[in-house]
Amino acid sequence: MAVSLIGQVNLMVEDNILVWKFNRGSKDALRRIYEKFKDDLLGLAITLLRDRSLAEDVVHDVFVSFSGTVGSFHLSGTLKGYLSTCVANSARDRNRLRSPRLAGPDVVETACCDSDGPIENAIGIEESGELQNLLARLPYEQREIIVLHLHHEMRFREIAKALDISINTVQSRYRYGLDKLRSILNSVVTK
Amino acid sequence: MRPKENIEEFVKVRKPDVTTSREMDKRTLDDSLAAMEQTMRAKSADHKPSTARIITLSRMIKLTAAAAVIIAGISFYVHQGPGEQKDTAMVYEAVESPAEIMTMKSLTIAYRRGGIEGIENQCEKALKILGPQPASLSLGDLFNGSQS
Repeated sequence: MAVSLIGQVNLMVEDNILVWKFNRGSKDALRRIYEKFKDDLLGLAITLLRDRSLAEDVVHDVFVSFSGTVGSFHLSGTLKGYLSTCVANSARDRNRLRSPRLAGPDVVETACCDSDGPIENAIGIEESGELQNLLARLPYEQREIIVLHLHHEMRFREIAKALDISINTVQSRYRYGLDKLRSILNSVVTK
Repeated sequence: MRPKENIEEFVKVRKPDVTTSREMDKRTLDDSLAAMEQTMRAKSADHKPSTARIITLSRMIKLTAAAAVIIAGISFYVHQGPGEQKDTAMVYEAVESPAEIMTMKSLTIAYRRGGIEGIENQCEKALKILGPQPASLSLGDLFNGSQS
């Protein structure tokens, strides 16, 4: 427990040093920030959008706009949390633009399966058990919160603030999302 | 039915292992560094201080500027103030010296133009140029002094 706490503090100190250098125009600091978080952020974007090309665009745009804040960037919280929030917000905007008719959760479920590529269709949920495919069957809002909380270690309070919704909404979406995931898994197991 | 904790654990351990491509890294870093440079250039242009702003912001420069203004004022007073009177007198002298003013020819012309009053004015003009003189000074000394 103590070791993990020390590790977290070290990471926060490292992030703050990187941000401090970045704000003073260090290109090396920007490169290091990118190298440090790029894979996690791309994973988040892919999970949310289920489209690698679109996910790459989202991460690209997030880093470009982050770079534009040089000299005035103020970090409150963790850098990973900040960048994850940016990716989540940008992914949500892209998702809306991509398919406005998929706004409703029930439609998302159907549409996700319809919009799968040939490879994704070939590897079914029953056969692969891939989490990506399972999560794709959740409504976007629930998927977003589950991924931010479980993969990106953001607290409900942070997610609520980042998404500008109440903490109760976040918790209920999380709970419904897990319930749905559980029922999907159970149905897969019983088949 | 899986308990909640199991589902959470199930999701947690299956975090997607994704790696960015080299092309994506290059494109993102190039664009990000360009955006960073552009912002820094814009900010440095916005914050380029004018001379007035430098004077306003820096206390040291403020004091130096105040000192410079005071020194310039004193210099102006010292050189320009008394010099101005001197220059004025020199202008009068250049035009007409008191000796020239008081010559017969000059006094005759003054009489023709204004009579006795013209002569009086001419004398006053000569005294004005000479300024206050000691009472013991004779008219001859006065004219000799003004000529030297």
